Amino acid sequence: MALLDAYTNPLTADQVAYLLRRATFGPTADQVKTLTGQTAAQIITKLLADQPTPPPPLDLATGKPFHDQPFDTANAGKFNAYLNYWWANLMLNQPVSLLEKMTLFWSNHFVTNFSTVNDYRFMYRYNTLLRQYALGNFKAFTVAVTQDPAMLRFLNGNQNIVGRANENYARELQELFTIGRNGGYTETDVREAARVLTGWTDVSYRSATTTPVSSTFRLNQHDKTDKTFSATYQNTVIKGRSTATAGLDELNDLITMILSNVETPRYICRQLYRWFINSDITPAVETDFIQPLAEIFRKANFEIKPVLTALFQSQHFYDEAIRGGMIKSPTELVIGTFRFWGLQAPDPAQNITAFYQIGNYIFARITEQQQQILNPPTVFGWTAYYQTGYYQQWINSTTLGLRGFFGDALTTNALKLNGKVVIDSIVYAKTLSNPADAGVLVANIVSQLLGVPLDKSQLDFLTDTVLLNSIPRYEWTGEWNDYIQAPNDAAKKQAVQMKLTAFLQYIFRMAEYQVI
Amino acid sequence: MKRRNFLQHAASSLLLPVLIDGYGAKAFARPSSFIQSLVDLADQSDRVLVIIQLQGGNDGLNMVIPLDQMSIYTDPKFRGNIAIPEAKALRLKNYSQTGLHPAMTGMQQLFNDGKLSIVQGVSYPTPNFSHFRASDIWMTAVDQNQTAGSGWAGRYLDKRFPGYPDSYPTTQMPDPPAIQIGYVTATSLLGPTGSMAIVLQDPDTFARLVGDKPNAPATNLAGYAGQQIEYIRQQQASSVSYAGQIKTAAGKSKNLATYPTANALGDQLKIIARLIAGGMQTKVYYVTMGGFDTHAAQVVGTDTTTGTHANLLRTLSDAVLAFQNDLAQLKIADRVVGMTFSEFGRRAISNGSFGTDHGTSAPMFVFGTAVKSPIVGKNSNLSDLDNNNLKMQTDFRQVYAAILTDWFGTDTTTESTTLFRDFPVSTVFRAPQIVTAVSATAAEAHLYPNPASTVAVLESDWLAQGVQSVQLINMQGRFLSVDTSRPTTTSVQMNVSNLPTGNYMLRVETAQGLLTKRLAVAR
Repeated sequence: MALLDAYTNPLTADQVAYLLRRATFGPTADQVKTLTGQTAAQIITKLLADQPTPPPPLDLATGKPFHDQPFDTANAGKFNAYLNYWWANLMLNQPVSLLEKMTLFWSNHFVTNFSTVNDYRFMYRYNTLLRQYALGNFKAFTVAVTQDPAMLRFLNGNQNIVGRANENYARELQELFTIGRNGGYTETDVREAARVLTGWTDVSYRSATTTPVSSTFRLNQHDKTDKTFSATYQNTVIKGRSTATAGLDELNDLITMILSNVETPRYICRQLYRWFINSDITPAVETDFIQPLAEIFRKANFEIKPVLTALFQSQHFYDEAIRGGMIKSPTELVIGTFRFWGLQAPDPAQNITAFYQIGNYIFARITEQQQQILNPPTVFGWTAYYQTGYYQQWINSTTLGLRGFFGDALTTNALKLNGKVVIDSIVYAKTLSNPADAGVLVANIVSQLLGVPLDKSQLDFLTDTVLLNSIPRYEWTGEWNDYIQAPNDAAKKQAVQMKLTAFLQYIFRMAEYQVI
Repeated sequence: MKRRNFLQHAASSLLLPVLIDGYGAKAFARPSSFIQSLVDLADQSDRVLVIIQLQGGNDGLNMVIPLDQMSIYTDPKFRGNIAIPEAKALRLKNYSQTGLHPAMTGMQQLFNDGKLSIVQGVSYPTPNFSHFRASDIWMTAVDQNQTAGSGWAGRYLDKRFPGYPDSYPTTQMPDPPAIQIGYVTATSLLGPTGSMAIVLQDPDTFARLVGDKPNAPATNLAGYAGQQIEYIRQQQASSVSYAGQIKTAAGKSKNLATYPTANALGDQLKIIARLIAGGMQTKVYYVTMGGFDTHAAQVVGTDTTTGTHANLLRTLSDAVLAFQNDLAQLKIADRVVGMTFSEFGRRAISNGSFGTDHGTSAPMFVFGTAVKSPIVGKNSNLSDLDNNNLKMQTDFRQVYAAILTDWFGTDTTTESTTLFRDFPVSTVFRAPQIVTAVSATAAEAHLYPNPASTVAVLESDWLAQGVQSVQLINMQGRFLSVDTSRPTTTSVQMNVSNLPTGNYMLRVETAQGLLTKRLAVAR
């Protein structure tokens, strides 16, 4: 199982940047510098360290939480928007940690969406559940998410009652959440699982009077007869029960049964592989990576951390052939770009207006680029993780244009977030080793911003054609030094600034900027 | 493809069966859609297809209502809690047994004007109940146990415009082969090496957004990273080269009909009408409408003609009617047909939540002035279910085959490659079969062996006066060529060894009249 063997060499700067682009929403230059030379195992420990539970989103008008209040129809649109902005900012402000990337992963796995659920309090509770279990135990997670009020509404579990089963959740539980659609479950298994799951419902949906949001089990709506499954599940019979805990007891049996099929941990590992490594699961990857990883998962009693540890320190993950093979999702592009340039959302208790301005801007960009958080289009999540072409699904004529447009906006003075322009190209150039040398400057910028290396002809093109527009390189040195000697001379400053801005805009539109 | 070549291709495939059998055009004495197709071929290259995907699995049984089986349909044990009352169902001209959902007044109007064809009971053998897999099957046009990395429309366009996108645009084809209005590229439009479509949301801002063509040297990276980078560069290059064309076309025309407001599908079709009228030569347009996964609250319990499904169907129906009116006023209606599809229909028996779970076959709509058969097939038989699901009548690939051959004029080889094998063409674009001939009685004609495996012989005294034509028609209404010989003056022998097993209608035209017999081929 060489692919899954640990890569133990200290990581180079490129490898650290690569690891952080994949495992988080992207690094800053300083983070890369600090972690270079550490081993993968050391960095992963940091990535998996416990994070404090984030405080809930606040109402812009009152500065108070709204998730624990009765449903407010008049403000529902606003509160839902704040929830979205709040989560976007958690991703933006996240330290070196896997937590928010995994929370997003689970929102694409155990999907619900706002369009269907349509109660911001339900969505908050659901999002909190994803974060709570994101790095926890998958079995407990599956049991919990099955009872989650947003999930009960999204897949009609709340209408699944004895004698009139609604199969929606029972099907997706198997097809998408656990054993996978090639796992061998049958239509009988769908029907029987639906019967196991009868009786649950959500509480306080869009209620202007009651709190809190929760779910409950109604024994009188539960199918108390035995449920018999197919050979895929060893013809297991789940005993029908009639006690107050019948719902939970049978649910535990059901999840235990599904997880005991060897396909279930494999299916989850394939999902993680497509999320973090590559869309192409070759036969070798299946046998030498997915299967042993699934075995780790199973032996760890479905704890998620051991799987992520093995995945991110595997030799396979650091294979050069893997790097650059993923196209950035809109969140990776937008939030990753902001993170690199050091944009952080302020503490909402201090400056709630700026906090929501930033969250709003991110949310608008990722929405137009087709990754609206808390609202994946269907129960399968975003097409980029399952449909032919995979990550290429993010790219089409319109979204590519919007990606370029986003880059353009950051480099102009027109966009100010929290009162500041996002990118000051001159300040940035000064952080680099030798900004007076155009060739070195370009090579430095490119190695920090792009996930893949460029060759000499590309670097020369970027230097001579894009940055310098065919003037000789020594002219740049002269202009840069002129500016350094007279930093308050507006004309001299503009001479270098215009070139740097146009250069960065070009980089943001390059195909190479879209991959990690 | 050049128009001339194209005509030759199309003509050869359509004419061959007519001439080889040696019976001449007279064999098609009744108004023949084949002959009509040939006439229409002259401006074939202007033809456009609009695909409307109804995402989530549309409940066909509440959309097209079996008025002949209302007692079962409204039975509380069947779908009484969601059934549309007979009195509310919209009536269809000349088809009293079939009705439409009350929200579909637009579709009713199109049907009564002969601009809508309803293909009943469309599915495929051993249907899949996963949204996922079922959508893939419909889009890639494969059997339930096969997979393909490209979509059916994409494969067709790839044949039609080989080398796209690298060697395009050209003078003959300055426009993208397909345009999708919306978000993420649809699998149906994937060609063998990538999408055949340009995706746009708003033609007016499109050109501004796409920016400049990338002109940096190409990447030297191979492998996964190289593939992704090449893909993105190629997308960028095609968007830029088409941006101007799209802007110009959108600028050249304006919508003439009034579209419904707050109707997302209408907004998208509106753009399409403008682009077609503006002179775009794009062949396929693709739009998506979501929300059809109605497990619960599909109808409002107190009034089953309202609710989620009614709203969806109204949106669809209003948008398509406005689009069709617009096309007519823009004088381009004859160049456009549209079709709707959904990954599956829903369970015939409703659930307890005023909804329906995943099912199988459902009707497809094909609209446009070119349709000929108002209804293909019959209402699904509600007393003959398969595990609570409606049985299939037409394979969806037969409808694709109809679009490829009868609408786009594709030759059989291309059609078969595109759909992976030859499918009988659904009769959407062909006149409905009119049963007027007097059937010969058993005494007058004798067909044996029946079922036949290699040869079948028809004996009748009527044959002695001369045979004008021998036609074999399969159950989908497609005419098949058959080798014949005359062993005696009162018999015709047919070689059926190459025919697929199944039921056929044999029609032999003689001086005394028409002989028709049902022939089964079995092996």
